[in-house]
Amino acid sequence: MIGRFPVLATGAMLLTGCISVKAPDKPIEINLNISVKQEVVVSLKKDAEDFITNNPELFPK
Amino acid sequence: MMRTSKIAIAFMGLALALGGSTVALAQMDAEVEAAMASGAVGEQADGYLGFAKPPSAGVKAKVDAINIKRREGYTQVAQSKNVPIEAFAASIGCKTLAGLKPGRSYSVAKGVWATKGAAPVQLPSQCGG
Repeated sequence: MIGRFPVLATGAMLLTGCISVKAPDKPIEINLNISVKQEVVVSLKKDAEDFITNNPELFPK
Repeated sequence: MMRTSKIAIAFMGLALALGGSTVALAQMDAEVEAAMASGAVGEQADGYLGFAKPPSAGVKAKVDAINIKRREGYTQVAQSKNVPIEAFAASIGCKTLAGLKPGRSYSVAKGVWATKGAAPVQLPSQCGG
């Protein structure tokens, strides 16, 4: 009776498999915000050029 | 005779007023330009002018006035394009920093000032490639 238990237990473990959960070493970085803003800022390049050209008094050099 | 002189005086007054305002604008730029040439005032990545060194009251007032007008303009364009004001202001910052003359002060990270040397300014990542 006691003799069979370890065998059954081992068998059950093998059937279910081992799932190990390990936390990642580094925090997961999500750079979504930066890439979305970059897309917008880059798309406004021409508008920025025009604004500076049209308002030279606001951009002393 | 009397009517003609009155009209003449009115025109002279108008011409003086317009001429005066143009001179005032030029003077405003000259003082700010001098402060920029000395590195006391510089462009920031956020699209506004800032103070690398503590400014005189006069220079501060003029720079503040420029920044207020810039923000008004940025707001107009940003609303017409349906983008955040900060994004358009940042795109302006990318342009101003890219076009700096050597010796000028500039700021990428808020409050951190550097001097433009011979090499091009390293633009923030939001400016793209």
